[in-house]
Amino acid sequence: MKPQAPTGRGATYRGRVGGRGNGAAGRWAVVGGAVAVLAALPSLVAALPASDAATSATDLRQQALGSADVAFSGYAQAAGGLSLPVGDQLTDVADLLSDRTTMRAWYRGADDWRVDVVTPTGETDVHADAGGTWTWDYVHATATRTGPTPLALPTAPDLLPSALGRRLLSEARDDELSRLGAERVAGREALGLRVVPAEEASSVARVDVWVDADSGVPLRVQVVADGAAEPALDTGFLSLELGTPSADVTAFAVPPGADVREGQDAQLLRAASRAGREARSRLPVALAGLDRRTIDGAPRSVGVYGRGITLLAVSPLPGRVAGPLRDALVVAPGAVLDDLGVRIAAGPLGLMLVDGPDGPVLLAGTVSLDALAAAATELTGGDS
Amino acid sequence: MIAVELRKLFRRPRTWVTIALLNGLPVLVAVLLAVTDLAPRPGEGPAFLSAVLTNGTLYPLAALAIVLPLFLPIAVALIAGDSVAGEAQAGTLRYLLARPAGRTRLLVAKLVSILVFVLVTVVVVAVVGYLVGRLLFDVQPLGGTSVSGTDLSSTEIAWRTLLAVGYVAVSMLGVAAFALFFSTLTDSPLAAMLGALGILVASSLLFTLDAASSFAPYLPTRYWLAFVDLFREPILWRDVVRGLALQGVYVVVLLGAAWANFTTKDISS
Repeated sequence: MKPQAPTGRGATYRGRVGGRGNGAAGRWAVVGGAVAVLAALPSLVAALPASDAATSATDLRQQALGSADVAFSGYAQAAGGLSLPVGDQLTDVADLLSDRTTMRAWYRGADDWRVDVVTPTGETDVHADAGGTWTWDYVHATATRTGPTPLALPTAPDLLPSALGRRLLSEARDDELSRLGAERVAGREALGLRVVPAEEASSVARVDVWVDADSGVPLRVQVVADGAAEPALDTGFLSLELGTPSADVTAFAVPPGADVREGQDAQLLRAASRAGREARSRLPVALAGLDRRTIDGAPRSVGVYGRGITLLAVSPLPGRVAGPLRDALVVAPGAVLDDLGVRIAAGPLGLMLVDGPDGPVLLAGTVSLDALAAAATELTGGDS
Repeated sequence: MIAVELRKLFRRPRTWVTIALLNGLPVLVAVLLAVTDLAPRPGEGPAFLSAVLTNGTLYPLAALAIVLPLFLPIAVALIAGDSVAGEAQAGTLRYLLARPAGRTRLLVAKLVSILVFVLVTVVVVAVVGYLVGRLLFDVQPLGGTSVSGTDLSSTEIAWRTLLAVGYVAVSMLGVAAFALFFSTLTDSPLAAMLGALGILVASSLLFTLDAASSFAPYLPTRYWLAFVDLFREPILWRDVVRGLALQGVYVVVLLGAAWANFTTKDISS
């Protein structure tokens, strides 16, 4: 038989057209319904309400600080909106504060944990043990051993919400704290806690910490700079599982064929203390209204001032580091250049390179540009 | 009907020419690497490519990473875009539908033959990559190092490579579903293939754009590179699972649309 009717069902023309209309509408309705359900699923899950608890701000802070021995494994993302114009110096720190960092974490205790920074084609893992940290860099096949240092540059593990939240809450006073509502973070109920720093010099408008209602582990941290609408730093867990991860996961053995190196921080500190050795003047006990902190083991020439989330670090820089840094800072948008030196603000982070009497000095911290200028005046012995 | 479609697909010289061409690039890259000994700088170039100089057993992965962004989806879109529109263009579609099998079954048969093509293609790329890797590069008898710096035995590398092959094959299903849907919309196989590639290029571009991050998790290419996660220790299943689910959603939705369109379409050729 020669096929004539394409539908093969011998329908009349009128019947076919009518049937087609009904059948098509029904079929497309099924497809449309399925698409609508699938598209609505994520927002339905996200809309699951979180119930608030009557925990006071003071208690919630205590709960968060007491969570340092809560073991967990989790997956977190940190998004930084700070562009640090530091040129080729300190690129790791600059990337950390400007990019989206994806982390996997396994936490057994304060000196037994591992944080992996996951990139599409590799990863950088930090394994901590009692004697320091091992950093494994897959892309360069290097394992770096870093001993405990009194002062260290920020690294990815510092951006983990649990660590950052506890650090930012550690010195907050009760009058700086207030409660926010509750939110769902990583599928868990989290209670909000807001810190508004009391110091006038501070460049941070507020820090919001979302604390797990069950365990007290900080689940999400947002840092908002003065005058900004969007957080300069937003880090949060996307999934979190309480329970002690296996010791095999946090342990580290140097893989065959890997380069073994010594950590940068120790070298930087040595360079800073060398650069400050010739310094005649001692650092003052207070700068820009912020008191000096005592840090055991830190070189005499390096000072940290302030309290809580308002901190200012002062360090002499070797000339080979200071030169390129100055070049990078001077051309940065918004840079202020005057007799004191050059200073810029990147979100809540202020950076200043001061031409001190004993050589270049770097001021860096969560303080405003005015506070940086005041500190520089006091350092250089100007009239203030 | 499925057997008929499969026989038709694999009897065509074009199918095999496509697969052969697809293997050309990884083989060329391997030869160049082996001759010049110049691996891409670490962290640049396709995943695992800088690692193969020291361990040739990783070359199947590097080969997959080389063809994954463009060559593999083009091949899949070519075959899937041709599946219905090609029959329409050749004027054979009405004869196919004259059989009492029905349109839904024809669509399913076409889909299954595309799936088999995807799987065969990915497996051939991996096998050729393995042979090339063993021939041209050093092979570590004891296995290798995972992305996380732990030791992997040869058997572990083998089963993780198998998982990766499966994952890459599933990742191609979204492209195949787009091309199959477009193939039921038009009588031109070329238009169907280019439509699917257009979606692919748009998805890859939007993925790199921060402004599009709100819907980035739903882009069909979002989780393609997640096969690298299979070589972390412990394995990071999160993106792999999401990638599988996302491809599943695309296949269900687009296949539904293809079915809704095709079963009620006027066949004019």
